[in-house]
Amino acid sequence: MSMKRREFLKTTAGGAAAFTVLRGKAWGQAKPVRIGYTLSATGPYSVGAGITQGPNYTLWQEQANAKGGLLVKGEGRRPIEFISIDDRSEHETAVRFYEKLATDDRVDLMLPPWGTAMNFAVAPIANKYGYPLLGPTAVSNKIKDLQLPYFYALLQQPDQIMGAFAGILKELKAQGKISKIAIAYVNDLFGIELNASAATALKEAGLDVVDVKSYPLGVKDLSPVLKGFKAAGVDAFVGLTYPPDNILATSQAKEVDWNPPVWLAAVGTAFPFYRDRFKGAEGVMGIAGWNPKVKSAGAKEYFDAHVKKHQKEPDRWASAFAYASLQILERCVAEVGLDRPKIKGMVDSTEFQTVAGPIRFVKGSNVSTPGMVGQWQKGEFEIVWPKSLATGTPVVPKPAWA
Amino acid sequence: MAAKLALALLVMALVAAPEILSPYYRSLALAILADVALAVSWAFFSGPSRYLSLATGAFFGAGAYLTAIVEARVPWPLPVLGGALMGGAMALLVGALALRLRGPYFAVFTFGLAELAKHSLIWYETGVTGTVGRLILAPPEPWTLYYTILCLAGLAVLTALALRRSRWGYALAGIGSDEERAETLGIDTTRVKIGTFALSAAFMGAVGAAMAPRWTYLDPQVFNPFVSFQTVIMALLGGATTVAGPIVGAVFLGLASEILLLKFRYLYLLGLGLTLIVVVLALPSGLAGLLRRSSPSPLSSPPAGERAG
Repeated sequence: MSMKRREFLKTTAGGAAAFTVLRGKAWGQAKPVRIGYTLSATGPYSVGAGITQGPNYTLWQEQANAKGGLLVKGEGRRPIEFISIDDRSEHETAVRFYEKLATDDRVDLMLPPWGTAMNFAVAPIANKYGYPLLGPTAVSNKIKDLQLPYFYALLQQPDQIMGAFAGILKELKAQGKISKIAIAYVNDLFGIELNASAATALKEAGLDVVDVKSYPLGVKDLSPVLKGFKAAGVDAFVGLTYPPDNILATSQAKEVDWNPPVWLAAVGTAFPFYRDRFKGAEGVMGIAGWNPKVKSAGAKEYFDAHVKKHQKEPDRWASAFAYASLQILERCVAEVGLDRPKIKGMVDSTEFQTVAGPIRFVKGSNVSTPGMVGQWQKGEFEIVWPKSLATGTPVVPKPAWA
Repeated sequence: MAAKLALALLVMALVAAPEILSPYYRSLALAILADVALAVSWAFFSGPSRYLSLATGAFFGAGAYLTAIVEARVPWPLPVLGGALMGGAMALLVGALALRLRGPYFAVFTFGLAELAKHSLIWYETGVTGTVGRLILAPPEPWTLYYTILCLAGLAVLTALALRRSRWGYALAGIGSDEERAETLGIDTTRVKIGTFALSAAFMGAVGAAMAPRWTYLDPQVFNPFVSFQTVIMALLGGATTVAGPIVGAVFLGLASEILLLKFRYLYLLGLGLTLIVVVLALPSGLAGLLRRSSPSPLSSPPAGERAG
C-alpha cells in the first residue's frame, strides 16, 4: 500500500514538474543561445577539466541565466543552453563532436575542451567553420605554428612562465638566499618546452643550473632524483611538473628529508587541493596567474560565487582565465551580437577587463598577462613575482615541511 | 541473389556517403570504418590462430606517428603505405620473438609492446630531435581520408575472406586447434603465424597513418592501450572466428557508444558496460552468431578447421 502511494506521489510530482517545464517553455520569451563544447568527464584529462573548466562554464551559465540570459545586441536577453558531451579524453571523439556542433547542431558559439592536445585537435574545426575559440588551458610554443585566426590562447606560454621563474630566482640569488639551481622535468611536450625556455631564461639571467633531470609521464618514484639534488647541495628546486608528479615529488621530498630554501613547481601547485594535501604547503612556490586579492574588478566576487556554487575554491592559475574567456565572449555578444566574424573582429581589437586582469590578443596570444610566480602563505597563493602585480613578498627559505 | 543485391547497395551507399552525409555523420562513418578495419584485421589473425594479440595500439600508433613525422613532405597516400610497411615490419620483428609464447604470455608481451614503442619514441624524440609532439598543419581533405579508410576496411574484409579459403587460412586454423599436430602434419607454423600477424599489423599501421591527420597534434601518447582492448572487444562482441563478426561488432559498438554518449552524458559508460555484459551472456558466439542461425554463408560461418576441430 505504502509502495503504491509512493509510486502515485512520484508520478504526480513528475507530472507537475513536467507541466512546469512545459509551461516554462511555452512562456519562454526568447530562444536560447546554444553553446557547444566537450569536456573530459572520464579518462586522463578529466581531473584538470573538472577543476579548471567545467565549474566555470556552469557557474557562468547559472549567473547569466539568473539575470534572464545572455545579453545579445539588438535582441535582449536570451537564456544560455549548453550542448556538451564527455569526450572520454579521446581526440577523435572531440573532433567528431565539434564537427557535429558546427554542422549538425549549428550552435551559436563554442567553448574549448581541456588541455593543449585537445585544443590542438579541435582548433582547426572551429577555425574552418568560423567559431572563435578562446582556450584557457592550452600552453605550448607550437600554438603560434598553427596559425589559426579563430583560435586564441589566454594562458601564459612557456617563455613567459620561465621568464618569471628566472626573474625571481635571479633576485633571490642576488640577495644571497640561493646559489645552486636544479631542474627536474616531465619529458612530454609541456615539460620539454618549459625546460627549453628555462635554459634560455636562466642563462639570460646569469644563473647556473647544476643539474637537469627528466622523468617520464606517470613516474612512480622520484626519490633518486631528489636524493641526487640533495647530495649536490641544491638550494633551489625547479620542477616542471604535471599535478601527479608534482604531488609525488612533494611527498617524497619530505620522505628523503630534503627541504631546499626554494621549492618551485609548475602545474598542480596552484590547486587548492595541493595546499590541503600538504597541510598548508607553506612556502611552496609555483606557476601563478590569479588569486582573490588581485586588483582586477570582480575577482573577489568571482571567488565567492565559485565557492558558493561548487563548494570548492577555484585554482589559482587557469580557473580565472577560463572564467575570463566567458566574460570576453559575453561582452562581445552584448556589443556585436552573435555574428561570429564580428565577434572575432572585436576579440582581435579590444583590451578586455576581466577577473583575471586586462587581456588583449595579438595574433591569437594574450599579451597582457605576464608570467607569474605564486607562493602558498597562510592559506593563500600569494603572487610574489613580478613585483608590479605582487600580493605578497617571497618567504625564503621556506619553512620546514608540515 | 538478394544478399548480393544488398551487398552491392551497401557498397554504393558507403561510396556515396561523403556526398550525402553531413560532416559529422561522415566522421562517424569514418571512425566506424576504421574500427571495422582494425577489428577485421585483428580477427583474421587472432580468431583462427587463437593467439590473443594486444599489440593493435602499438601498430596503430606507429602508423599514426609516422604520418606526423613525414607530414607535408610526401604526398598522400604514401604515409598510409609507409604506415602499413612500418606495422608489418614491427610485427615481423615482434612475431619472431614472441610467437613462441603461448596463451597469456603472448597477450602480456604484446600488451607491453605499445609501452615499449612509446618510451623508445620519447627517448628518440627528446634525445635526437629535442622535441616531443608534432603538428600536422596541412591535413588531406576529409573526403580523401574517408575514401582511404573505406579502401582499407574493404581490403581488410577481402583479405579475411581470401585468407579463410586459402591453404594458408586452413593452416592457421590448424594451428589454432592444435599447434603441435599442425606442425606434425608438415605445416610451417612459424612462417604462417608470423606472416599473418605481419599482414594484420600492416592494416593496423595503415589505419593509424590514415586517421592521424584528423587530430592535428600527435605525441607518443598515441600509443594507446585502449585501442588494443577496444579492438578485441569489438571482435569478440561480434564473433572473432567469422568475417562478419568483427564487422558487426565494430558497427554495433560504434553506434551504441555514440548514441549512449550523446543521449546519456553521465550514464553512457554504465549503459555500455551493461550492453556488453548482456550481449556476451546471451550470445556466446557473438552477434554474428545470430546471423549464422538464420542464414549460413561464408561471411558468417567459422572456418573449415574450426568446424572439423
